[in-house]
Amino acid sequence: MQRLLAALLLLAVAGCNAASSGDSGAEADGKDGYRIAVIPKGTTHVFWKSVHAGAQKAAKELTAAGTPVEIQWRGPLLENNREKQIDIVGDFVAQGIDGIVLAPLDSTALIPSVRDAQDAGIPTVIFDSGLADESIIVSYVATDNYHGGVLAAQELGKRLNGEGNVILLRYNVGSESTEQREEGFLDTLEKELPNINILSSDQYSGTTIASAQEKALQLCNRFGDRLDGFFAVCEADTIGVLAALDNEGLAGKITFIGFDPSPLLIDAMRDKKIQGLVLQDPVAMGYLGVKTMVEHLQGKEVPKRIPTGESMATPENMDDPEIDKLLNPEKAD
Amino acid sequence: MNEVSPDSSFQLVRRGGGFVRSVVGPFAALLLVVGIFTIADNMQEDGGRFLTLRNAQNVLVQSATVGVAALGMTMIIISGGIDLSAGTAIALSATALAWFLREDFSPAVSVAAGLAVGCLAGCVNGLLISLLRIVPFIVTLGTMTIYLGLAKIIGDNTIVRPLPDQVPEWMQELLRPRVEQAWMVFAPGVWLLVALALVTAAVLRYSVFGRHVFAVGSNEATARLCGINVPLTRIAVFSISGLFVGLAGLYQFSRLTVGDPVSGTGKELPIIAAVVIGGGSLNGGRGSILGTLTGALIMQVISSGCTSLRLPNPIQEIIIGGIIIAAVTVDQFRQRRLAA
Repeated sequence: MQRLLAALLLLAVAGCNAASSGDSGAEADGKDGYRIAVIPKGTTHVFWKSVHAGAQKAAKELTAAGTPVEIQWRGPLLENNREKQIDIVGDFVAQGIDGIVLAPLDSTALIPSVRDAQDAGIPTVIFDSGLADESIIVSYVATDNYHGGVLAAQELGKRLNGEGNVILLRYNVGSESTEQREEGFLDTLEKELPNINILSSDQYSGTTIASAQEKALQLCNRFGDRLDGFFAVCEADTIGVLAALDNEGLAGKITFIGFDPSPLLIDAMRDKKIQGLVLQDPVAMGYLGVKTMVEHLQGKEVPKRIPTGESMATPENMDDPEIDKLLNPEKAD
Repeated sequence: MNEVSPDSSFQLVRRGGGFVRSVVGPFAALLLVVGIFTIADNMQEDGGRFLTLRNAQNVLVQSATVGVAALGMTMIIISGGIDLSAGTAIALSATALAWFLREDFSPAVSVAAGLAVGCLAGCVNGLLISLLRIVPFIVTLGTMTIYLGLAKIIGDNTIVRPLPDQVPEWMQELLRPRVEQAWMVFAPGVWLLVALALVTAAVLRYSVFGRHVFAVGSNEATARLCGINVPLTRIAVFSISGLFVGLAGLYQFSRLTVGDPVSGTGKELPIIAAVVIGGGSLNGGRGSILGTLTGALIMQVISSGCTSLRLPNPIQEIIIGGIIIAAVTVDQFRQRRLAA
C-alpha cells in the first residue's frame, strides 16, 4: 500500500509545479506580493468563469504595475455545499493567505468562517452575495440586486402594457442576492404596476437546472392557460424555466424575463423566446473584488459598498456593443 | 455481503496478525501522506504552512463530522453490513436539531431530539434488515431517499434557520478550528470524537457484544450456530451507529449553524471510504476504529495538502479515488495471502 501511495502522490506532486503557476498573474514571489484567495459559490456555472477572468485581469494589471498579485481560485462544485465552502475558507486561513475574496453561499452560515479569518488577521472582501454581519468585512462588491429586480418588473410592465398575470419563480432560500431581486421585482409591481396580478411568488427553483425545470413545469401546468409573464431570478432558474416554457409551447407566446446570460439564453433571445435578460457584470465583480482587496492590504481607504452595475438586454438592443460585452463576458480558461 | 467464506471465519482466529496489518498499515499511510505533502509544501517558495498547528486544528475539525459517523459505520461494516443512508440521516438529524432550536426548545432538548432522530433512523434500518430479510445495501438505499424526504418535510423544503441567540455558545465553539482556551489545543468536538473512538474500540475488542459483531460479520451461519442472536445483534449495531449519525448531525449543525435538509447527500461515501481506507472489509469481519479515523484523516489531509500546493479540485478528487482503489487492492492481496 505504501509503495502505491507513494507513487500516486509523487505523481501529484510532480504535477503541482506545473499547475501552481497557472493562475498567477506573474511569478509572484511571496515576500513583496500578495496571495489572494478568490472563492466563488460554485465552479460549474459560466458566471463564475467570468468572475475568474476579472480576478485574473486585476492580478495581471497589478502585477504589471509593480505589485505582484497571485490569485488562488477554489470553490465548491455545487452551489448548495455550504460545508465545503466553510472548509475552503478554513484551509486558506490555516495556510495564511493574505486576503480572501468570497461570494458567500449563505448569508449566515459563513459568518463564523469570516470571523475566524479576521481573528487570524486575514481580511475578507465579499462579492456577489451579502453577509448578514457587515462589521467583519472590508467591502461588499456586488450588483445592486434589488435594482435588477426593479428593472425586470419595469420591462415586464412595459411589454404587458401594465396588465396581465405573472409568475415569479424564486431561487433558493438563504441566497441573499436572489432574495433581493425577488423583493425588488415584487415591490415594483406593487408600487408601479397595480394591474399586474401575481399568480405565484412562493415557489423555489432549487439550485439545478433540472429542479428549476420541474418546478416551472408544475407552475405552467397549473397556470398556463392564463399566464402572461414570467420572471426567473438567476441563470439556472432561467434555463430551467425556458425549457419548461418550450415544453409547454408557451415560449415566445408569453413575456419571459430572465437574469444572467448564457449562450443558450442568448440564442433563445434571438428566437424571441426571451424578451429580457437582466445583466450583471461578473468580470467587474472579480476585477473590483481583487483590486479592492489589494488596496485595503496596501493600507488605502476603500468604500464599504462597491456597485458593479446592472442593465437590461432585450431582443432589440442585444447587438449594441455595450450590451454585447455583458452578454458575452470574458471567461477564464 | 454475507457470503460465508471459509477464510473469513478462519480470520477471526487469526485476529492478532490482522491487527498489525489493518491498523499499522493505514497509520503508516497517513504519515506517508503527511510527509509527502510537507516536503512538497516546503519546496514552494512561500510554503511551510502545511505542517503547522493551525492547519492541524483545521484538518481535524474538517474531518470530525465524517469521523464520528464513521465510528458507527465501522461497526456496521465489521458486522457484514453497509449503511448508505448515513449521509441523509446526518442531514435529517441536523435539520431536526435546527428545527427544535428554532421552535425555542432548550439546547439540551434539541440535542437530545437530534440524537434520538439519528438513533431511530439507524434502528429502523436494523429492523427492516432483520425483519424483512433484505440485504443492508438495498434497505439503506431505500431509507437513504426516505430520510432525505423526511428532512425536507421538517425543513419545509428550505433551510431551517434558528436565530443567532437560539444557538448556544458551546455549540458554535464545538468545531471552531481555533479554540478559545489555548490549553485545549484542539476543538472540543475533536476531543469528544477521540473519547468516543476509545470507547467504541474497547467495546469492539473486549466486550461480548463486540465479539458478536465480529462473529456475525465473519460467518453469519456459524455465529447463529454458536447461539448468537444475529437479528438482535444487527439491530443493536445499526441503532448504535444511528446514535453516532445523530452526533454527526450535531457536528454538522455546529459548523453550519443552519439546518440544511440536503446537506447530507453524498456524505455516506466519504464515511464508507474512511472505513475502507482504514482496512475495513466490505465482506465483513474486519475493520478497526483507529484505521477508520486514520482513513478519514488521510482524505482530509489530501484535501488540505492540495490547497496548500494549489492543486485544483479535480486533481484532489482523482487522488482520493486512487487511494481508495489502492487500499482495496491491498485488502484483496491480504485476503488471498490469508486464504493460502
